[in-house]
Amino acid sequence: MIEKYEDMDRFAMDVLKEIGSIGTGNAATALSQVLSRKIEMTLPEVKIMGYNRAIKELGGAEPIVAGVLVQLSGELNGIMLYLQKMDFIKVVLKSIIGKEINDYSDLGELEMSALIEIGNIIISSYINAISTLTGITINLSVPSASVNMLGAILSVPMIEYGYQTDKLMTIGGSFICEGEEVYSNLILLPDIHSLNFLMKKLGVANE
Amino acid sequence: MSKALTVGIADMKICRAPGMLVTYALGSCIGVCIYDPVLKLAGMVHIMLPNVYENCKDNIFKYADTGVPETIRKMEAFGAVRNRLVCKIAGGAKMFEISGNSSIGNIGERNAESVKNVLRMERVRLLRADVGSNYARTLYFDASTGEATVKAFGKPELRF
Repeated sequence: MIEKYEDMDRFAMDVLKEIGSIGTGNAATALSQVLSRKIEMTLPEVKIMGYNRAIKELGGAEPIVAGVLVQLSGELNGIMLYLQKMDFIKVVLKSIIGKEINDYSDLGELEMSALIEIGNIIISSYINAISTLTGITINLSVPSASVNMLGAILSVPMIEYGYQTDKLMTIGGSFICEGEEVYSNLILLPDIHSLNFLMKKLGVANE
Repeated sequence: MSKALTVGIADMKICRAPGMLVTYALGSCIGVCIYDPVLKLAGMVHIMLPNVYENCKDNIFKYADTGVPETIRKMEAFGAVRNRLVCKIAGGAKMFEISGNSSIGNIGERNAESVKNVLRMERVRLLRADVGSNYARTLYFDASTGEATVKAFGKPELRF
């Protein structure tokens, strides 16, 4: 039984890394098709971090990012976050709605809607891949977006699991668009109870 | 503001004039600034959740109902006098609109409510509050004047 994120052994971490890899791979393919560009991904990493370190690792508290959040329920509970910065938002909006954008304040209703949709496609393909692999049912909430300080966006999953743990576990990778690494993180944050279920379902639980 | 002392998440710091306290990117969390104007002693706590439960007393500064009284207690240990203390708070935003019943939706509101209750019980006057809405805030608190400054993305700086 895993009672805390820190309880996971290296084998369990490897399993999660593999899941992340399959998920991000599918998400990258989906993104590539939508944007008709070459999208690669970095090798996903599984990290267990304290709050303040998690924020530092993902880029600092104050920088502004656009985040799309989907809540997972059903047999796997958790949060899925897709974070992107201006460099990648520019690429995305240019190829989807053909509009040049330079600043976060230029993001109007149409632009936000496009970003949410992209987030939705990426997250859905990620979850779909995991669901097919493991045979568990996962329901997704309607995606919601926020353009705000990274620290505040990350505090949402922290608060959600605040009563269970004071660590954050992230399974995530970042995309590479036409050879250039852009800031766009796709992060899965499962809750502890679901981790046990997932391990059991995959037959790797250590009793 | 270069030498500000950073208060992390679920963290608390106390300083004297001419010090400065800062906490970055308050989302649904709340930054509670407590000040003794005579001693020029300032305390700031960054709380995440409204109430503590029996089985999770890992970090008392994570919860409003344990973090705020502990901050006051520590400040009293430094010589602060309770009926002189005043308080200013900021944060408690709603970062994401999630449909359906979800704790993500109203946690900011519940945090603000809980902080106000605790302050009432501790008999500390709440001077100003900048809570709610949907944006992140960075909160500075100056120990020499007791002035709080809230910076937010795309918003004018707010001093109170």
